[in-house]
Amino acid sequence: MTRLLTIKVDQFLPHPPSRVWRALIDPDLLGRWLMPNDFQPRVGHRFSFNAGSFGRPECEVLELEEERLLRISWRNRSLDTVLTWRLVPEGSGTRMLVEHSGFDVDDGFQSDAFDAMGDGWSERVATTLATFLDSLALEEPG
Amino acid sequence: MPTYTGAVPGPDVFSALASPVRRSLLELLADQPQTVEELAARFDMRRPSVSQHLRVLKDSGLVREQRSGRHRVYRIDATPLREVTDWLHPFERFWRERLNSLAQLLDEDKA
Repeated sequence: MTRLLTIKVDQFLPHPPSRVWRALIDPDLLGRWLMPNDFQPRVGHRFSFNAGSFGRPECEVLELEEERLLRISWRNRSLDTVLTWRLVPEGSGTRMLVEHSGFDVDDGFQSDAFDAMGDGWSERVATTLATFLDSLALEEPG
Repeated sequence: MPTYTGAVPGPDVFSALASPVRRSLLELLADQPQTVEELAARFDMRRPSVSQHLRVLKDSGLVREQRSGRHRVYRIDATPLREVTDWLHPFERFWRERLNSLAQLLDEDKA
């Protein structure tokens, strides 16, 4: 059985969605906070990031909703994942929700990723914990 | 470089997890709550040693102890494990760092 892990992170930004959106879809701005890239805000556009020790993920724009949502595929080495940014207005600012899904916890991803991060010490622990996280997620209501 | 500012688990959690025996104990407890006798039966180790490891796990918050008649039953506590997992997962850390970068960029670039 394949068990897939989703990473979810969010952050409140005290700026209107239009401004946050620009930082997301302008390749130069995107390069300043994320990674150098040849992104274009157009569904079907294929591009890559220069991710340093993570390699060079190959990406494609899957979905784009002005000032609301951007979804791309993200593939490199053993990774075959989908990345979604959502912008939700909150007061005078914006909450950015990042969802990175499709990590196969059984498929050497952990060790690959940890090698890339230079965190070799925790490989054994991480694999164990990934299994825990999975089983715990199943127990939680909702 | 942006720095990671998420919750970092206490150092006792890491030292508790640093022992292979204690990780094995956690794996066994992840299956089901067990008594020290049941756990000791799985190891080539005397019961007092197993009890000592269990005490370290208990002090770090990774397991909870419950009395049941004459026995003490140990069960896993998810909270510190989840913290550790979140902290360890490279992409979780990566995205938190990047979002901090984005917040900084938007704050600086007011023009």
